[in-house]
Amino acid sequence: MSLLDFDWGLIWENRQALINGMWTALSVSTVALVISTVVGLLLAVLRNGPKAVSWIAVVYINVFRGVPALVSVIWVYFGLSLVLGISFSVFQAGVIALSMLYSAFLAEIFRSALTAVPHGHTEAGWALGMRTSQIFFSVTLPQAIKIALPNIGSMYIGMVKDTSTFTVIGLLEVVRVTQNLVATTFQPFVLYTAAAIIYVIAAFAIDLIFRLVEGVYVRPPKALLGRAIRARQRRTIEKIVASTKANSLATAQLFVK
Amino acid sequence: MSREIENMHTPQSTTPQGPIVQLRGLHKSFGQTEVLHGIDLDIQRGEHVVLFGPSGSGKSTVLRSINLLEDPTKGSLKVDGVEYGPGLAGETGVTRGTKLQLRRKVGMVFQQFNLFPHLCALDNVALPQRKAQGKSKSDAREHAAEALRKVGLLERAGHYPSELSGGQQQRVAIARALALDPDVILFDEPTSALDPELVGEVLKSMREVAETGMTIVVVTHEFGFAREIGDLNVFMEDGRIVESGPRGFYDNCTTDRAKEFLKAVK
Repeated sequence: MSLLDFDWGLIWENRQALINGMWTALSVSTVALVISTVVGLLLAVLRNGPKAVSWIAVVYINVFRGVPALVSVIWVYFGLSLVLGISFSVFQAGVIALSMLYSAFLAEIFRSALTAVPHGHTEAGWALGMRTSQIFFSVTLPQAIKIALPNIGSMYIGMVKDTSTFTVIGLLEVVRVTQNLVATTFQPFVLYTAAAIIYVIAAFAIDLIFRLVEGVYVRPPKALLGRAIRARQRRTIEKIVASTKANSLATAQLFVK
Repeated sequence: MSREIENMHTPQSTTPQGPIVQLRGLHKSFGQTEVLHGIDLDIQRGEHVVLFGPSGSGKSTVLRSINLLEDPTKGSLKVDGVEYGPGLAGETGVTRGTKLQLRRKVGMVFQQFNLFPHLCALDNVALPQRKAQGKSKSDAREHAAEALRKVGLLERAGHYPSELSGGQQQRVAIARALALDPDVILFDEPTSALDPELVGEVLKSMREVAETGMTIVVVTHEFGFAREIGDLNVFMEDGRIVESGPRGFYDNCTTDRAKEFLKAVK
């Protein structure tokens, strides 16, 4: 049996269903990414904090890093919903499950990124009369985000792939869609190849987006996007420099007279 | 001649007479190890103080104590009337200021510059003014541009730290401290991390700051510079002040240890 004996046309015929599946996977992952970024950052700060509270973060991180996505989503959809008396939609259950796991991973990423910012910058902030919170948001965090970005991108790709396990609760993501199509066409090889391709394309797209965002954080601004964003600031600074120069010249002339 | 002009200069003072910085019985321990064993030091307004001594003598710790990067374990320090620290044994009834209050009276320049790499030179100078003094962004930037002009770096306002030489970075750091209008500026070995050929431009900026009548405390190994600006010269060893003296101290010190040290570094 050669490769050409398979019905590859099926992929094109079912393209809309597959794309919809990827759209669902991306939606779940994106919402979960936003939640895990916030929670992960909080956990990282907690983890770096005093011992009295840091152990909470340590326990959370070590527990949830170890739970597989498949177990987590079943636990949320069939367990947590019963305990809390809330019936989650499959979408909600997926978001909660992913957020729980990836908050732990992102906490570690943020912790190492925050630690990588030299302590001298915090000391400089103190010496300049800034509050610790002001230093965190204006000095440490912007630098830490830049350091963390590539790893956050990898985590995002991991999330998209982990949504494939949510087929067990019936979320219509790529694998579920593929299974449904296989059930009617009996062409698993063709359709799972399509699924693999669509995951790889998504990973490439995410990588590209994160590279662009990373470019914005590069100093001095190099990439096109970074330069475009900084153009207004550059003009403002040039204006201030010019007026300061003019003022000092005027003062100097006043003295000469 | 220039020395006379410098001495004639009387900085404006709004507070009563007396030292602008006062350390009284300052002790500092890290865990079980005590590194400062009771430092007493009065610094007058407009005075230029040089702290020197062998490494590990505690001179940097004294400097870092003045803006509370190191918390005093015993004793106290007072800057422009704001007192901080546990105080002397048995002392009561002293109003203590907050760390922030005290720090906002003191500027500091570090050996490693510590510019914020994600901000351009102008915003490095402007950021602390916005956060510590609540200035608007445009006010802070205008004031920052003026400070950069004073250190001769106005043209580099839009450059990021990675685009500046070490000497230029240190001058931005000086402008950043200066722009907050502190009562005292501390320099912690400001030229030690620089290429030899870049030391001169930083010393020049420091000299210009000194000439405005700013109170300065500097830890340095540049003895030529120390001789030139030091109104009060303090020799430290093993966490104690061994000896201190006015101008000319480097040729007239009396303790054997200070003589020995100065001979070794010459």
